[in-house]
Amino acid sequence: MFKNLSYLWMAIVLILLQIFILDQLSIAMWLRPMLFPLIVILLPMEWRTIWVLLISLTVGVVMDMSLGGVGLYTATLLPLAIIRRTTMYLTTRRGLEPGDQTSLMSRLGLRQLMFYVAAMILLHHAMFFLLETLSLENVLHLVATILLSSLLSIIIALPIVHLFTLKIIDK
Amino acid sequence: MHRLIEFIKRIYVLVLFLILEVAALWSYATSSVYAEAKILSRTTEVGGAISGTITDIGHFFSLTYHNRELTSRVAELNEELERTQLLLEESGIDPESTTAIDEDLHFRYHPARVVSMTTNRNRNFVVLDKGTHDGIAKDMGVITPDNKLVGYVVSCSEHYAVVMPMLNTDFSTGGRLVGNDYVCVIRWSGVSKYKFEAVELSIYSNPSEGMEVEVRSERLPAGILIGTIVDYELNSSKSAYSATLSIAADMSSLDNLLIVENTHYGEIEGLMQQVGN
Repeated sequence: MFKNLSYLWMAIVLILLQIFILDQLSIAMWLRPMLFPLIVILLPMEWRTIWVLLISLTVGVVMDMSLGGVGLYTATLLPLAIIRRTTMYLTTRRGLEPGDQTSLMSRLGLRQLMFYVAAMILLHHAMFFLLETLSLENVLHLVATILLSSLLSIIIALPIVHLFTLKIIDK
Repeated sequence: MHRLIEFIKRIYVLVLFLILEVAALWSYATSSVYAEAKILSRTTEVGGAISGTITDIGHFFSLTYHNRELTSRVAELNEELERTQLLLEESGIDPESTTAIDEDLHFRYHPARVVSMTTNRNRNFVVLDKGTHDGIAKDMGVITPDNKLVGYVVSCSEHYAVVMPMLNTDFSTGGRLVGNDYVCVIRWSGVSKYKFEAVELSIYSNPSEGMEVEVRSERLPAGILIGTIVDYELNSSKSAYSATLSIAADMSSLDNLLIVENTHYGEIEGLMQQVGN
């Protein structure tokens, strides 16, 4: 119960951080960090996909209403709920086993967890910017936006994931 | 039965995901004209090939009708050409000696066919089978072969163009009353696909039923018909007329169309931007 509350607090902090700080930063058109996908990415792998899907929907709708995405945030968050386990397996070679006593994320080191987080952030940013631009006329600009924004998001995510492993997973 | 329940249990998450994803994408796609047109042109790249084949089959069976229409159009143009030649001769100009070349043409016409279209929504779009590869660009006008306005190109992919037709609540264009040259703005309210409104007709324009309204836009030549006034009334402050027009083009049966390129449009736009800045 207490752990679930920790996830709720993390979600609120990440949403507020995105709306009031990250989205207000205007560093460059091609540098737009996004941390709210971490809410979905860091949910326990043991949770049923249907719950993760509904949480993604809630976060997406909140972001759409706050930042005027009209479906853009939701459309790019929902696939994360579906591809989480596959991405985890592809990046860490770890999957859910029937007899596991501890959570999958607690068995990963920070480095392995960051591989998974980085892959998910990259996938999310690729979907987001592709859907936002809806054009391949300036592919170089699009690729640069995806890569540089992902890189910045991953760098900012590193201390958050570290804190997450210490305060939530290892509890 | 048991197997069916098991099957549903296995796929319900995926089905729910697909429903939610489609709903989110739909919401995003219809949020702005840009997104709608872009998504439509992207999906058209894939779907265009399929619906293009279906349309081709339809075209094959309507060839007789189109041939008859083209023949009458050729006859009309021949008569017009003859009249022009007569006028030139009467004015003492040798028609053979004209030095006009392709580059001098103010307007160029690109024939195109409708690949897909909608007419039952508030924001309808028409997809044509010509794109940037064929020299089509955003903002070009689209008309029927008998000079009736259809709409304007709002987005292009390599092989397809998306047109915002008059039957779109975001559409607006300048109009001119034939006969007295008063201008007006034309918009569609989404009520009927056969009628739309001209707003802010001058109090001095003296409209009458049956009066024709032509396009007044730098994107199209003069003489392109928008519609005919079927009803009009003074507004409450008695400062202007508001009129209802019947749309000239039959928007429910568009097939062969002409995309009109104003070769001076870039120059005009550049000037307008200078003034704007």
